[in-house]
Amino acid sequence: MRTTRPRKTVAIVHKSDVLDYKNLELLEKCISPQGQILPRRRTGVNTQRQRELKNVIKRARHLALLPFVG
Amino acid sequence: MRHLKLTYVYEGMFLIDNDLVRADWAAAKAMVTDLLEKHGATVQSARRWDERALAYPIKGRRRATYLLAYYGMDGDGIPGFQRDLEIQDGVLRYLNLRVDALPEGEDELSKAELADDFSVPEPPADDAVDDETGATEDPDTTGDEVDVPDGVADADVTQAATTDN
Repeated sequence: MRTTRPRKTVAIVHKSDVLDYKNLELLEKCISPQGQILPRRRTGVNTQRQRELKNVIKRARHLALLPFVG
Repeated sequence: MRHLKLTYVYEGMFLIDNDLVRADWAAAKAMVTDLLEKHGATVQSARRWDERALAYPIKGRRRATYLLAYYGMDGDGIPGFQRDLEIQDGVLRYLNLRVDALPEGEDELSKAELADDFSVPEPPADDAVDDETGATEDPDTTGDEVDVPDGVADADVTQAATTDN
């Protein structure tokens, strides 16, 4: 019987990337077209960095740099 | 016991109304820096970060100019400074965060604004909302299902910012 392997996803955020609310080029890749924050399996970061990413996206939203709803 | 006053370096991002920027950028910048100095801060750098379209309208504005400032201040001064910012009509929104130090190159970028040949590009004219009432609503406070009081989302972020102190 042939089993299907889960599709490998390419990490969006890398270790060298600086998580900052002004780094919009990176943050725009970390939200869905609807404006939702992508899960860890898509961003490719550990839990600590995902929490940091969540905070910087929320800061960017507060300053109207990113939308709340796409 | 003596109360120790610790001075930290803060990063402040301020959304400035484009009407003020069109009138005089230096005056718009001074509005924020004077407020900082009033609350005992030492401004290390202040510069125009960008002028861009907002992701959602704020106070009837579709576009705004971002002012990025770094300043040293006692933690005790932050609440008073934020109270004063709230009543400033020219400041549409703000975010204050504590940082470790002034980032490299920020000083040079700030000093470049003091040069004689520096001029701020004229912001586009389409920054006002088309709606005649001028009333705008943030998408986060206009949910159909949940009745969220005004400013809750803002308070959340401001609180997050102040807990970094």
